[in-house]
Amino acid sequence: MKPANILTLVILLGLVGLLVLVPQLVGSRVVERIATALAISLVLVVGLQTFTGNSGILSFAHIGFMGIGAYASAVLTIPVQMRGMALPDLYGVLAQIQVTPMVGILLGGVVAAVVAALVAYPLMRLSDAPAVITSFALLVVIYTVLQHWSAVTNGPRTLFGLPKATTLPLTAGIAAVVIVVALAFKESRTGLLLRASRDDERAAAAMGAGIPALRWQAFILSALIAGIGGALWGHFVTSFSPKAFYLKETFVILGMLVIGGMNTVSGAVIGTFLIALLFEGLRALETALNASGAFADQVVGVTEIVLALAMMAVMFLRPGGLFAATEIGPLILRRFTRRAPP
Amino acid sequence: MLEVTDLTVSYGAINAVRGVSLRLAEGELVTLLGANGAGKSSTLLAIAGALKSAGTVRLDGTDVSGWSPERMVRQGIAMVPETRDVFPDLTVAENLLLGAYARRRDRDGVAADRQRMFTLFPRLQERQEQAAGTLSGGEQQMLVIARALMSRPRLLLLDEPSLGLAPTIVDQIFAMIAELKRAGLTILLVEQNASKALAVADRAYVLRLGKVAAEGRAAEIAAASDLEHLYLGG
Amino acid sequence: MQTLLQFTIDVLSLGGAYALMALGLVIVYGILKLVNFAYGELIMVAGYGLFLVNGSGLPWLVMAAVAVLIAVVTGVLTEYAAFRPVRAKSVTAVLITSFAFSTILQNAALLFISPRPRNVPLPDLFSQTVSFGGILIPARNLITIVASIGLLLLFAFLMKRTVLGIAMRAAATQFRMARMLGVPANLIISTAFAISGFFAGVVSLLWIGRIGSVTPGVGLEPLLVAFIATVIGGMRSLQGAVLGGFLLAFINTALNYLLTQDLLQFRDAFTFTLVILILLWRPEGLIRGPATGQRT
Repeated sequence: MKPANILTLVILLGLVGLLVLVPQLVGSRVVERIATALAISLVLVVGLQTFTGNSGILSFAHIGFMGIGAYASAVLTIPVQMRGMALPDLYGVLAQIQVTPMVGILLGGVVAAVVAALVAYPLMRLSDAPAVITSFALLVVIYTVLQHWSAVTNGPRTLFGLPKATTLPLTAGIAAVVIVVALAFKESRTGLLLRASRDDERAAAAMGAGIPALRWQAFILSALIAGIGGALWGHFVTSFSPKAFYLKETFVILGMLVIGGMNTVSGAVIGTFLIALLFEGLRALETALNASGAFADQVVGVTEIVLALAMMAVMFLRPGGLFAATEIGPLILRRFTRRAPP
Repeated sequence: MLEVTDLTVSYGAINAVRGVSLRLAEGELVTLLGANGAGKSSTLLAIAGALKSAGTVRLDGTDVSGWSPERMVRQGIAMVPETRDVFPDLTVAENLLLGAYARRRDRDGVAADRQRMFTLFPRLQERQEQAAGTLSGGEQQMLVIARALMSRPRLLLLDEPSLGLAPTIVDQIFAMIAELKRAGLTILLVEQNASKALAVADRAYVLRLGKVAAEGRAAEIAAASDLEHLYLGG
Repeated sequence: MQTLLQFTIDVLSLGGAYALMALGLVIVYGILKLVNFAYGELIMVAGYGLFLVNGSGLPWLVMAAVAVLIAVVTGVLTEYAAFRPVRAKSVTAVLITSFAFSTILQNAALLFISPRPRNVPLPDLFSQTVSFGGILIPARNLITIVASIGLLLLFAFLMKRTVLGIAMRAAATQFRMARMLGVPANLIISTAFAISGFFAGVVSLLWIGRIGSVTPGVGLEPLLVAFIATVIGGMRSLQGAVLGGFLLAFINTALNYLLTQDLLQFRDAFTFTLVILILLWRPEGLIRGPATGQRT
């Protein structure tokens, strides 16, 4: 592996390490919760990057696969005794199987990947705008199915009873693995070919038949990661409803990815850190404002507006995001090895 | 009439045009020669306002540097790009109509000009309700020249009109260009087909790697022994 | 026979509304090759416009005109705020800025008005029914059919017979060349957004006329319809958008009639499956538009 890439890996994994370390040092449960949520976001955003960054197509469906993973794991891990209450109409076979959360998380990813494989192939032949808006439609459809398939999801109601299995070390570990996978995929043959097609329309046309298949692979990988992230999240919050996997969440992870830089894994990671911390700050502000009674009504939606403005500002100033094209490793090395001009 | 001083055009790190200066007097036909990538098209596009450039462009004394393409048209400059750029799903008649966009309020004048174009290019009249995308290469070239003329320009910028056309058609096109010159139109012609261009031109500039490598009367340039060298470098 | 008549009316009225939704989106996409994610919010602001002028004592048509005007203004505002600064940069940048702008508008409605549905004034005509051929048809549906066909014809006339329309069609395929003929680029673009806003405004009247109230998220479904209709119809052509709208309406209505009660709630999933099949067959949509031209 090139030294530049090793440096990237070290830095990004170092950040994940900090995520585990800081709550230990501070000793606060709240900080630990925030760190865990951040780690889950890392899994999701880096997962999105593996598809969007390499293919150049913004996928709005990602959170949908998160939901699929969460529900898949839920169905299989809610203790059988409780399952009758939580999902009274669940199909016979599924009602009896119980797996450990670890297996559940893995299976959540697999189910999401399988759905992605089946549904998405035709969409991979679309390019640019049609692909994006179809992915948006896919998100809505997944949401609709989750909302109505009461037997499996308890419909629009909250689903309770997932075992709380998500710890900070586990999540950080998975996040670290995902980062390694993302970097490896980016430099793999598939990743390189995809990126070549992304940057040059004519080259893409010349490669013709190969590209949908490549995109499909990337899409399945990103859905797998999304499913794992969703299941992780499920075992973190232990109860959720389909509303948790829709537009607001999509907006946030897109913001994290795009502000950081969708073409680089560093962008995905650092963007996540920045926006997650910004969010916590804004949430605290919103709570304080509401508590203080400064405004007559509840102040809601301010966080989203600020994030939206931040996204627009970044698009105006640096449309590629903070790390638009170069990973952090090569960027730092470049700075330290400036050669004399020819 | 046209005075270009120190024109520079860059595409990111690539300097396509590096300090080109040229002059056209009214009624002249000047041709810009050079190999592929010499910067001829970029020069023309920059003069027409379609590309960002540094340097000065003066039209009859007025400094028009950096003006938008829309403003340049109102000044009487019409450009026919190398890519022809017909509007493929519009009819021939609609294409011509758009050529006169800047004069659209003068309905009678525009109608009269349209007739004049049809007389000059009978083939276009035959096909006036046809979608422009279905025309042959030669017909499209005629269409875009006619379309440019619809704005009654004082200066016509023509980029490689002979590109990709059969020799007989090329002859027709150049006969047309000669005719336009005889009628008094000032023309700046970019061409790779040096011999045809020099046959109709008054003067010529030869561009090489973004700079003017030679200039002079057409006959001089045609006779120059190192024309090949200038073209092919080395 | 009666079912067939009922079905036809349903398809025509839904199709008319869908076609208008799709057209409003494609006008901008056709010229700029850029997707306006905030399009649904144009419908939303028109709805809130109606809500806000309610009780002003004005005749409904005037209130409706105000609502449409608000949509037009917001459309042009969207261009200035979310498109113009990033138009030249990248397709993704514009997707993000228009998505962000859409979020801002929705949250503004949430914050400054209410998350709860708000009633909009509707003319009495909308709640009447007409008897025809043995079935009862809501007058609303007939109005939708008439209004959409009327607007579509008007729009076709605009595009074909006026210099502005011809210039807009030209700008859609060869933007730079159009400028080189003197067509004012920015005016064309702003006009496209204004027309898009106009369509959104009319759609808002017809669509919210079905629901009776407006919420911050009311623009989502029309946005989705516009998206799907244009993708299957062919994003590069105006006729494609119209065709896509009617086709989608046909599919939706057919599923409404055919699906059993418990499957009906998954109707959108079925629709999407059919859409995927259509895309499998024709990835570029049903009507191939003009060849890819230059982007601005």
